[in-house]
Amino acid sequence: MTVGANVKQCLATVKSIEAGLSTLASNSSDEEAKRLFHEQMMVMGEIKKDIMKRVGELEREEEQYKGF
Amino acid sequence: MPDWLDVAVRGVIFLIVLFLMTKLLGKKQLSELSFFEYVSGITIGSIASEVIINLDKKIWNGIIGITAFSVLILLIEILSLYRKRVRDLVEGSGTVVIKDGKVLEENLKKENYSTDELLQLLRGKDIFNLSEVEYAVLEPNGSVSALLKKDYRPVTRKDLGLTSVNEKEPQTVIMDGEILDEALTTIGKNRGWLQAELDKQNVSIENVFLGQVDSYGSLSVDLFDDKIEVSESQERPLLLANMKKCQADLELFAIATESKTAKSLYTENAKKLEESMQKLTPYLKN
Repeated sequence: MTVGANVKQCLATVKSIEAGLSTLASNSSDEEAKRLFHEQMMVMGEIKKDIMKRVGELEREEEQYKGF
Repeated sequence: MPDWLDVAVRGVIFLIVLFLMTKLLGKKQLSELSFFEYVSGITIGSIASEVIINLDKKIWNGIIGITAFSVLILLIEILSLYRKRVRDLVEGSGTVVIKDGKVLEENLKKENYSTDELLQLLRGKDIFNLSEVEYAVLEPNGSVSALLKKDYRPVTRKDLGLTSVNEKEPQTVIMDGEILDEALTTIGKNRGWLQAELDKQNVSIENVFLGQVDSYGSLSVDLFDDKIEVSESQERPLLLANMKKCQADLELFAIATESKTAKSLYTENAKKLEESMQKLTPYLKN
């Protein structure tokens, strides 16, 4: 696997973490836990954005692996 | 009316009267926390049984007796609710039997408790060694309350310096295969959500003996058919494992890349993920 593919896989994992945290945030009954899950979900969103940017750069470098 | 029928009728009448009176007096009467409640419980019961069996006695006298007794108790209870002095007189106060780790023999004698009885009460609280007790009180209802020395108290999260995590009480949403809508609404869920959760675990609602939803909204079930294995929810530990994996990946990318900007982007995000993981760990660990 190329670096591009690895980074894309990592991006997918971050997305799944974000979704998991979102579910927990809406399902938890304790307010404090709800808030924390929501906050960390936002952090995941930031990380996701950064990695997506990097994926774009990598795609330009490795034309043949384009598409996601 | 034959005797047996009379007794039966009296039995029913007094069952209703006793039921109403216990409702009137509330939970406190049932717990028999004080001497007064203990005595009144016995007396009311005796009046009822006396009138039920003894056919010479008039039913009305029994009912009046019970009512008078109950109302009197109720009045005293209300009075003691607002006046500390009445409370001390009627309900009694606790007697300190162990202070600073030393048994106060005088107080023990005053309450007519022998050393054996004290030890027995402490054993009932899983205390076998007297030296573990810092302070103990003989409560008015005859039980003993003991404060252990700090060294012998169970370890708490606070002792270990762990971050404080609060959890709400679990809600029972399925009982004997029936959905309890009231509990569901308490946690802000509906039948559709419950059905989806059950489908996820591959069980049908009829087969569920008991279903509870924990503080994180995950459903755990006990089935009628115990041969079917239900897997425990791994959602949260899995999420934590994913975070760990992702964080390691990002660090790996940071090492592998040659581009400076990419390196700093990876390291920064790896750090962010690390921080987030630290905050979430107490909540995600089972």
